[in-house]
Amino acid sequence: MGTLETGDWSSQLKRGVLELCILQLLREESSYGYEIVTTLDALGPLAAGENTVYPLLRRLKADGMLETFLRESPSGPPRQYYRLTPDGRKRLTALGKEWQAMASAVDQCLHKGDAK
Amino acid sequence: MTTDLPLVNRYLTAFDAALIQLAPAERAEVVAEIRQHIADATAAGKPIDDVLRSLGPVEALARAYQLELLVSPRPNAPARPRSDRWLKVIGLLAIGSLPTFIIVVTLGAIGLSFSLSGVAVVIAGIADSVGALPWWMTSNVQPWVAIVLGVALTILGLLASWATVAYLRFVVRVVRRVVPPRPAAAS
Repeated sequence: MGTLETGDWSSQLKRGVLELCILQLLREESSYGYEIVTTLDALGPLAAGENTVYPLLRRLKADGMLETFLRESPSGPPRQYYRLTPDGRKRLTALGKEWQAMASAVDQCLHKGDAK
Repeated sequence: MTTDLPLVNRYLTAFDAALIQLAPAERAEVVAEIRQHIADATAAGKPIDDVLRSLGPVEALARAYQLELLVSPRPNAPARPRSDRWLKVIGLLAIGSLPTFIIVVTLGAIGLSFSLSGVAVVIAGIADSVGALPWWMTSNVQPWVAIVLGVALTILGLLASWATVAYLRFVVRVVRRVVPPRPAAAS
């Protein structure tokens, strides 16, 4: 793989950020797997394969950040929904702060020398 | 209902089989969720082939789950049970007992018989050279040949005995390392 290829770099970057985004998506209302996958898909660079999102959802559940419940669906059997736990909410706040600090630092870094 | 397609059922059955390392309850929920995903995606109008291709091969999907759920350290992960060590002992017995039996019996027999008969041949050779051997025990082998042969046999026998003892010591070391110590001694 050439050094100009950004695929590996961005997939590593995405791995960490994806957790923050899934927690944020579930902040206001609960959701289910397919809806979360399609919402992320619509966000372009954040699009992650099902084989990334679904396992991550299960890990967040195992870590106590999310919990699941069943809700009737208009068609077919009841769906498994995810919602934030109190721990998940705390983690979302913490990760959000961390991301803001990191993003503004990276931004400053990228623009150093621009304005001079 | 689209999830009743044999193609989907085949995929999910294979996926379930690949998730063997997960706890049964977790495994059932994971399979149900992927079934739900397939139903949702096809209901949204996606062709079933595209949906399954996007999920990827069952082995890769199962590996992704196992990486997230099993490899990353879990808080409060249970310690390795003692039964694990007993499994090792059984494995050791299964692998090691037949070779040990063969090696000990063969080397031990060679060691004992070669050293004893070597000594006997040397004595016979000496006795023959001074003419002290009864006529029915004499042969046309020169006495010095018998003595040299006897010494060689004795050396071979002692070497084999030494190898048997060394091998037994090795076995004891391996077994001691694997067998769980008694609770009193373990502390």
